[in-house]
Amino acid sequence: MLIFAISDKGGTGRSVTSTNIVYRHALQGNDVCYLDFDFGSPTAGAIFSVGSVARGTTRKGLHDYLLGEGAPEPHRVDVWTESDREGLRTKPPGAGRLVLLPGNEGGGELPAVEEETLRRCVQLFSRLDEEFDLVMVDVSAGRSFTAEMVLQATVRLPSVPFRWLVFHRWTRQHIIAADGLVTGADGLLDAGTRFGHDRNALRDRIRFVRTAVLEPDAAELVGLRDEQRAWLFACDTELRELASRHKVGRTSMLGKIPLDPILQWREQLISDEDVLASKIANAETAAAFDDLAKKIVDDAAWEGL
Amino acid sequence: MTSVNATFGEVAAERRIASAPLSHVSIELGHLYMEDFEAGPERLREQFRRVAPWAGTVRSSWQDRVPGGRARVSTCFLIDDYFSRFSTPAELVPMVLEAAADCDLTIDYIARESACAVSDGVELARLVEDRLVNDPPPDTNGSRPPVKESGWLCNGARSPQVGTVQAMGKANRWAPPLQNAKRGHSIFVDVELWDENGGKRTWSCPFLAAVWQLLRLGLLRTDGRLPLRPVMREDAFPDDWESLPAVMQLNPAAAPFSAYTTLSVLSPRFLPVELAVRTILSQVAVDGDVLRQVVARSGGEGIRLEEELVDRISYVFA
Amino acid sequence: MLVMGEVHTGLLQNSGEIPESTCRDVLQLLSGERVRVSRRPIVYAVSPDLLTGVDCRLPSASQSRIRGAGTVLSRSSITGGRVVQGSSFTRIERSGSDRRQPWSHYLARPGVVEVLGKVKSRDLADGFAEDPPADGLDLGAISARFLDVVQSSPLLDRRAPFKIARTRLRWVAEEGEPAIRFTLHSEQMRTVRLVHTGEFTPAVADLCEDLALHDWLLTALLVIIERARIGGTPGPEAAVKLAPAVDHLLHLWMPSARVDDVLSAYWESLDRRPGFTRQWQSLVDRVRDQLAVHTLAFLREKSGGGAR
Ligand SMILES: Nc1ncnc2c1ncn2[C@@H]1O[C@H](COP(=O)(O)OP(=O)(O)OP(=O)(O)O)[C@@H](O)[C@H]1O
Ligand SMILES: [Mg+2]
Repeated sequence: MLIFAISDKGGTGRSVTSTNIVYRHALQGNDVCYLDFDFGSPTAGAIFSVGSVARGTTRKGLHDYLLGEGAPEPHRVDVWTESDREGLRTKPPGAGRLVLLPGNEGGGELPAVEEETLRRCVQLFSRLDEEFDLVMVDVSAGRSFTAEMVLQATVRLPSVPFRWLVFHRWTRQHIIAADGLVTGADGLLDAGTRFGHDRNALRDRIRFVRTAVLEPDAAELVGLRDEQRAWLFACDTELRELASRHKVGRTSMLGKIPLDPILQWREQLISDEDVLASKIANAETAAAFDDLAKKIVDDAAWEGL
Repeated sequence: MTSVNATFGEVAAERRIASAPLSHVSIELGHLYMEDFEAGPERLREQFRRVAPWAGTVRSSWQDRVPGGRARVSTCFLIDDYFSRFSTPAELVPMVLEAAADCDLTIDYIARESACAVSDGVELARLVEDRLVNDPPPDTNGSRPPVKESGWLCNGARSPQVGTVQAMGKANRWAPPLQNAKRGHSIFVDVELWDENGGKRTWSCPFLAAVWQLLRLGLLRTDGRLPLRPVMREDAFPDDWESLPAVMQLNPAAAPFSAYTTLSVLSPRFLPVELAVRTILSQVAVDGDVLRQVVARSGGEGIRLEEELVDRISYVFA
Repeated sequence: MLVMGEVHTGLLQNSGEIPESTCRDVLQLLSGERVRVSRRPIVYAVSPDLLTGVDCRLPSASQSRIRGAGTVLSRSSITGGRVVQGSSFTRIERSGSDRRQPWSHYLARPGVVEVLGKVKSRDLADGFAEDPPADGLDLGAISARFLDVVQSSPLLDRRAPFKIARTRLRWVAEEGEPAIRFTLHSEQMRTVRLVHTGEFTPAVADLCEDLALHDWLLTALLVIIERARIGGTPGPEAAVKLAPAVDHLLHLWMPSARVDDVLSAYWESLDRRPGFTRQWQSLVDRVRDQLAVHTLAFLREKSGGGAR
C-alpha cells in the first residue's frame, strides 16, 4: 500500500505526523518505508534522528534515482540500526522493518515530469510495494511536479493500492486551503482525473488529518479565563461548520493529532519511552499516532463517503 | 545395485531451429518503384543493362572460389507494393521478366516489399524490431535501460536535451551528437524506423530493406521455423498483389533463394538508404544458434564467412 | 577467461501460483520465440534469452580502469508458478585490439564482453565478487529489470500472499580445479565463486540460478518464521502468520532439479556445508510442529471447552 502525505501549506506538521505514523505502523509489526519526496528540503532524516542524512544523503539519494544520475537503487537507511537515538536503535520484538529513503543533500524541486523520471518513479513504487506492507511518501506542500508525478505513477500501477492523506491545521485558512488542494482548480482531483484517475474513486482515497489540534477542553487550557475559553469554544464550533461545508469535516477526516509541546519544540518521533519513562510527551499524542497508523490500512475507515 | 544412467527429455523445454537451404550468393537485380514503372519498359531495360556485367562478375568470382565451380547463385527482384501500389502482377511481372531476358538476365525469384512487413500473418518487421540491440555509447553500464527514442535508431549518442534538470540546478548546454566507434570524427546517423498515423504503423523503407537483407541471408526464424518459403510460380500471374506469394520462384532450376552472402546492384540514389540499412543491421541480434548453424554449414563446404553479418552484404552502386 | 553473473529472486506478485499457460504468456518477451517450459520435477518456465549492450568500466580489485564492450545475456524465469528470477551473465574475453570495434563485431558474439586492453582474470573476478564500482558493469540493474518485467505483467493480480524482499546473488565462474564458495553478505546480497573444469557452459548459469532460488526460499522461510514470533505471540496468531509458508513455499524445495549431472557435485558439497537442505528441513519441521501443536490445542479447546 502506498500512502501519499500532502498539505496545501508548508509547516503544517505533515512530515512529523507521517513519520510518526510509519514508526507506529512498524511497531505494530509491519514492514514499512518512508520516501522523502519533499525534494526542495529533504529533512526526514532529522525526524528519524539519523544524523548522517539529517539534511538528505550525500550518497545516491532519491533525486539521483529519479533523475537517472546513474543510481540503480537509491540509498536506504535502516532506522533501527542507524538512528542516533538510543531508544530507536534496537528493533523492538515483533516490530517490522523501518527503512528511510532520503533525498539528496542539496537537491532541488523537480523541474517538470519527464517520461524517464516518471518511469523510474513507477519502478520504485512497484519494487517497494513488493517488499513493504506500507510505503509512506512525503509529497511536500502544495501543487507541485512531485504531486503530479505520483498522480501519474499511480495511474500506471492500477493494481497497487494507494491512499492520500491531506494534512492541515485547525484554522480557517488551513481548512479552506486543504479543501482547495483537493477540490480546487488544478487540485488533486482535477489533475488526477486529467491523468486518467476516476474522479470519484480518487475522492474515496483521500482523507484529511488535522495536526496540532488544541481541543477547547484540553488540559493545557485549564488556566484560561472563562472569556477566553468561551471564545475558543465558539471558534471551534465555527471551524467545525466551516470544515463540514468544505467537506473537510468529520466524515472525510481520518484522525487528528493533538498539539504536543515536545513537537512544538522539536521535530521527532514520539516513542513509548517518551510517554512512559521520561514523560516528556503526552500519552494522547502517542495514542493518536497509533490510532492513525491502524486506520490508514483499515478499510472500514476508507469506505465511500 | 548398479547405477543407472537415466535420461529424461521434455520436448517443450528444448529448442529446435530449422535450417534454411542456402546458395553462395543472392544477387538483387533491381528494385522497382512506381516512378520506374511509369517510365516504361525502356527504363527497366536500361537498369538491367547496367546490372548484367556486375552480376556476371560476381557469379564467376564465386565459381572460382567454390571447388568444381559449382557455385550456387540465385537472383531476385523486389517490387514495391508497400509504399505505393500500381498496376497488377499479371501485367507487371511479365514485363519485368521480358526486360531482363532482353539483357540475358534470369530472374529466379520475385518478392513483394510488403512481405517484409507482414507475411503469412508473421510480422517480420516486428520480429526484427524486437531483435534490435542498441549500440551502447561509452559509459553504458546497464544501470539504466537503453535509451530508446521510440521509432528511431542511431549509431551513437544524441545531443543532450537543453534545459534544466532540477529547480535551481545547473542548466545543460548543447553538445554535439557522437558516433560510438568513431575514427577521429563522428559520422552520426539517426534512422527513422517507422511512424504512426491514427494508430497505423508505417515501416520506413530502410527498415524494410534491412528485413529484406535478413531474409536473403536466411537468418530469420519464428518459433524456430523459417518465416517464409518461396512458392513456385503458376502459369498465370494474379490480378492483385495480395494473391502474389511473398517470394515467388520463377525459375524451376534456381539455386536456393537465401544465401551466405548478398549483392545488390543499385542506383547511387539508394546510397543514403543503404547507409541506414547498415546502421540498422549492425544492431540486429541474430539468434546465436542460427549464426552457428550457418557458420557450420559454410565451414562444411570449405567457405569462411565473414563474422559480422554486415560484412556478408555487398553493393554495387552503378 | 571468466564469466560474471547476477541473479535476482523474488516472490511472484500474484495471490496464488500461476498455471503453466500463464507462465508462458508472462514470459513471452520476444516475438517469434517460444517460452521453454519443463514440468518435471517442478514447473519451470524461462523466457527467451535477450541481449543488452554495454560499454563501460569493469570491476577490478586493484581499482585499475578496465574498459569492456559487448553484450549481456539475460532471461526471466518462473519456478513452480510462484518464484520469479531475473538472471544475467556475460563471458569476459580478451579482445584482439585496444579499440572499440563497430557494434556488429560484438553482436556476432552474443553474451560476450570484450576487454579493451590488458587485464588479469583474477583481478576482475576479485573485483566483481567484492564491491564493484558504481559506474562499472551493473548486471544487477539489468537482472532487476528482467524481474520487473514479470512482476508488472497485467496478467498478475499483484496481491501476493506476503511481502518479501528480493535477494541478489552475484557469481563469478572461472576455469580450474573444481571449487565453490557461497558467501552471505547483507540481508539480501550473496556471492558465489565457482571454479569449473573445462569450458564454461550455460549449465553453470543454471546452477547459479538454482542456488539463488533455494537461498531465497530459505531466506523467505526464515523471515516468515521470525514474523510469526513463535512463543512470543499467542498460538493461533503465530499459526496464521505461518500459514503462507505452508501454502506457498514448502513444496518448492527441489535442489539440483535442473542442474546438469556434471555440476551436481557443487550442490552436494554445499549441502554438506553449510547444509542448505538440513537447515530447510529443520525450519519446515518447526513450521509443521507449530501448526500441529496449534491444531491440537484448538481441538482440545473445542472438545474440552464443552465439558468444562
Ligand atoms: N502535533 C503537533 N504538536 C505541536 N507541534 C507540532 C505538531 N506536529 C507538528 N508540529 C510542529 O510543527 C512544525 C512543522 O511540522 P513539519 O515540519 O512536520 O511540517 P511540514 O508540513 O512537513 O512542513 P514543510 O512543508 O516545511 O515540510 C514543526 O516544528 C513540528 O515540530
Ligand atoms: Mg516537511
